[in-house]
Amino acid sequence: MPIARALVAALALWTVTVTPAYAAPEGQLTWGVHITLAPTWFDPAETPNLITPYMVMYALHDSMVKAMPEHPMVPSLAESWKASPDGKTYEFTLRKNVKFHDGSPLTAEDVKYSFERYRGTAAKSLKERVASVETVGANQVRFKLKNPWPDFLTFYALSSGAGWIVPKKYVEKVGEDGYKKAPVGAGPYKFVSFNPGVELVFEAFDQYWRKSPSVKRLVFKMIPDETTRLAALKRGEIDIVYSIRGELAEELQRTPGLTLKPTIIQAPQWVAMLDQWDPKSPWHDRRVRLAANLVVDRNAINQAVTLGHSRITHSLIPSTFDFSWKPPAYKVDVAQAKKLMAEAGYANGFDAGDYYMDISYANVQEIVAGMLQQQLGIKTRMKNVERAAYWSGYTDKKYKNLAYTASGAFGNAATRLESFVVKGGPFVYGSYPDIDGLFAEQAAELDRKKREAILHKIQQLVHEKAMIIPIWELGFLNGQGQRVQESGLGLIPGHAYSAPYEDVRLKK
Amino acid sequence: MKKFILQRLTYSLISLFLLSLTIFLFVRLTGDPTVLLVEPGASKEDMAMIREQLGLDRSLAVQYASFVKDIVRGDFGKSFYYRTPVLELYLSRLPSSLFLAAAAMVFSLVIGIPSGIIAAVKVGKFWDNFGKVFALLGLSMPQFWVGLLLILFFSVYLGWLPSSGSGTIWHVIMPAFALGWFFAAAHMRITRSSMLEVLGSEYVKLARLKGLPEKRVIVKHALKNALIPVLTLAGINLVLMVNVAVVVETVFAWPGIGRLLYEGIAFRDFPVVQTTVLLSGSMIVVVNLVVDVLYAVIDPRIRLGA
Amino acid sequence: MASRAATLTFEWTMSTLRMKGFPWFPVVILGTLALAAIFADVLAPHSPEVGQLGQRFKPPAWQQGGASQFLLGTDHLGRDVLSRLIFGARVSMVVGLLAVFVAGTIGTFLGILSGYMGKWTDQLIMRVTDTWLAIPALTFAIFLAAILGPSEMNIVIILSAVYWTRYARVIRGEVLSLREREFVRLAIVAGCSKWTIMKRHILPNVLNTAIVIASLQLGVVIVAEAALSFLGVGVPPPKPAWGLMLADGKKGLMAGYWWLTVTPGMCIMLMVLSANLLGDWLRVKLDPQLRQL
Repeated sequence: MPIARALVAALALWTVTVTPAYAAPEGQLTWGVHITLAPTWFDPAETPNLITPYMVMYALHDSMVKAMPEHPMVPSLAESWKASPDGKTYEFTLRKNVKFHDGSPLTAEDVKYSFERYRGTAAKSLKERVASVETVGANQVRFKLKNPWPDFLTFYALSSGAGWIVPKKYVEKVGEDGYKKAPVGAGPYKFVSFNPGVELVFEAFDQYWRKSPSVKRLVFKMIPDETTRLAALKRGEIDIVYSIRGELAEELQRTPGLTLKPTIIQAPQWVAMLDQWDPKSPWHDRRVRLAANLVVDRNAINQAVTLGHSRITHSLIPSTFDFSWKPPAYKVDVAQAKKLMAEAGYANGFDAGDYYMDISYANVQEIVAGMLQQQLGIKTRMKNVERAAYWSGYTDKKYKNLAYTASGAFGNAATRLESFVVKGGPFVYGSYPDIDGLFAEQAAELDRKKREAILHKIQQLVHEKAMIIPIWELGFLNGQGQRVQESGLGLIPGHAYSAPYEDVRLKK
Repeated sequence: MKKFILQRLTYSLISLFLLSLTIFLFVRLTGDPTVLLVEPGASKEDMAMIREQLGLDRSLAVQYASFVKDIVRGDFGKSFYYRTPVLELYLSRLPSSLFLAAAAMVFSLVIGIPSGIIAAVKVGKFWDNFGKVFALLGLSMPQFWVGLLLILFFSVYLGWLPSSGSGTIWHVIMPAFALGWFFAAAHMRITRSSMLEVLGSEYVKLARLKGLPEKRVIVKHALKNALIPVLTLAGINLVLMVNVAVVVETVFAWPGIGRLLYEGIAFRDFPVVQTTVLLSGSMIVVVNLVVDVLYAVIDPRIRLGA
Repeated sequence: MASRAATLTFEWTMSTLRMKGFPWFPVVILGTLALAAIFADVLAPHSPEVGQLGQRFKPPAWQQGGASQFLLGTDHLGRDVLSRLIFGARVSMVVGLLAVFVAGTIGTFLGILSGYMGKWTDQLIMRVTDTWLAIPALTFAIFLAAILGPSEMNIVIILSAVYWTRYARVIRGEVLSLREREFVRLAIVAGCSKWTIMKRHILPNVLNTAIVIASLQLGVVIVAEAALSFLGVGVPPPKPAWGLMLADGKKGLMAGYWWLTVTPGMCIMLMVLSANLLGDWLRVKLDPQLRQL
């Protein structure tokens, strides 16, 4: 068979000569992204109340006030601002000579337009509290509120896209759909191209006001599988990789030239004991809830899943939030836990039924379930539901027994409690009258100090009642390759992704 | 013949109608897409607003009517997640999927046909078993495992091939092999049985009687005739490969249709799912129609039987 | 009577075993796995679901750092891999066999009904089958998983709901020709009811075909189960399903924990390969015309 022989020879030749070693392009930084980027993230007006869009926003756009490495609220497009003594007027002075990517200057008119155009998740709650927005000359904007609102700046600039400025003239010219196809902003990087589900490309905007970005080109490649992402990093096809967990993170750490870069997301995770208001349920007994808390070895879980990079906070409220209170830590104490169980009449444990969880974190919950069963004989059946179905089932109040819970929503301690602890919240299966009463009290309290005291008291009650089994604030494990000098990961506290992009650098 | 084709065409249209209805209802049974467009904890009003924007506040009948009406006009709607026209998304992915399927087909035939021939010619011998087992292995190992082993060996260990993505001929080799191997067994089986059939036919016996060398009988006479059913099946499988590569696409971050659909389901992106399933379904229905008609042309008994 | 039946069965079995080309390899493999599945509680040295975090990633006993009590090492939660594999045989067998059985029953029933009744019954069933076939199997399974939610039983339901079409199509074709045969005609003349004919005369004659398809489908179902686990909608943890073990273990592959994927992967491979080899053999034995099943 001469043909076969020729084929073998060709193959041999190919293996010897053509081994396409990968050479990374000069001046380009490439990310391997774990999630699917959406064009809605290019447009501040549509940003949902999610963490993920900020991966794109920090490159393409700029905000009046934003979180930066030095402080959670740094003047950016707004040079300064002042609030009137009655707390009802905010006046912003814009930075001079700021340009959009199309070369047009950024003016007060754009700020007003961006606020009015904003229609994302927080639009309603934001707009119903603002009486009017006025421009005062080319670079001053005045917001008038209906009532004093101490959290205005948080909501306007941090938890919504309303404070991220888009060019009015350009948007009106190209229309809504046109804008999503070719977005223009005032951020450090210009939009080049987007191929849905494949990659997103940015190019440096040299006239960015803060400084001219160092890296010429940013490419975000979507690689859904974790192992493949790490393989791409090892080969130098990408320079920075997001979300590498467990044993793969260990491998990343071991690989010469690669660096593990953990960040912490302000998204605490905990286990909710949904039946604690049912007198027939074992969870009704505080001793049982406390016992469960005493056998969950959070440090061991942390080591196993996130290599010790998660933050153990024992709270459902991010430690970086306004009005958050730091509860005392639970120490693992199996003997004490067993004693509590015996006192409650469950010396041999019990069958706790279904344990609901989002599949993305089944690995964590599997360990928790194992610890409950091994130490206390609390048996559970894992119900791992994929994300979409999980949260709708949760809010539809379909679950029982135990449910894994997490939230990365923006806000402060009060907004979190409202959603997860206080009567009427979307994730609340039952509540305690004393907490509900205190919550109503703080909502009417104008004095910040007194309000803080009440909110701390509520969080203390949550802890004393052992309402939840807190796990951690998730450590988000990422990696960087040899070419990277500064990945931007972890520069801004609580920010999961690389930022600010103008500070990102390649090695010389 | 005309009547037969007309009848088959009607069947196909009925299938497509049933498919549109099935997929429309199924996708809605998977749950509410709005919870995915907000962070857990968003207010009821916000979610109601999104539902209204997406047109999900209307009754099912109204939604279905407008869905069908739009499709007839060639409008497949806008993705909930991407906010861009679904058809655009689909068409941007189709070339990658076709490319992957074509390359995978090459691998599957290169493995399947020779092992099928050997299995038919040398029944029970070592090479028969070897070929059979090799072809069957592709069916027996989960594709994601094969894919990861390939990446580890060829990308990470040897450093020869890019681990993921698309763009060059190098990118397609591993995903095409993983996908093609899976289909090799089917092609091996049909080659084998069709070869056995042809080898037993009068025609081949005659060729042997004429004293032609065995190699020539097999290659020139038997193989030529035996390949017809193989290529028919390959045609059908090519369409399947375009549409079933979701696992391979996920492992290799290959931007194909399977991935688009899978993400569509994960995001509850109704327009994307409906359109992708419907267009994939049309592809499959059309290929089956063509095969049916071609067979009827070749073999008139089928026409009467139906 | 009973002893005579037993003798006959025994003789039949022996004569089959003595047959030339009897597929010893797949039968031995499947038999071993079946025994492991049945006696899992006795055979497994450790609990398949509960482990010790302190014992994570122990390599197999013969490797450096391995421990003799964990013959095939431990996984990311410190569970004994061997015990999980043994119990996994049970999960895979139960899921695979049940799914194949249910799908086969549905498909055979609809195929007979469609082929024998003809007319609008046939039309209805065949159009539904066409629609089903127009949705790629795995897509369909992901869909159903999203609707039904995860549990071992739901995986069986999903796989049966997806994979019945092949039986229906092939068996319908078979019934179409059986319908014209002498013995069926005679039964009609003798005044047997439609149901009786379908049950007594048609069903026994299509069973061989159904069995051949079933043996080939067993592999398809098991691999599909693994794919669902990879996509995150398979058998829920901590159940020791092979597909789930493989999907969980794949992260360890790059980190050098090869036993976490190689062992369940080999189990799946051997089982599916055996099912296919057995199916191919049965096909030749039971279907001498070598039609495409």
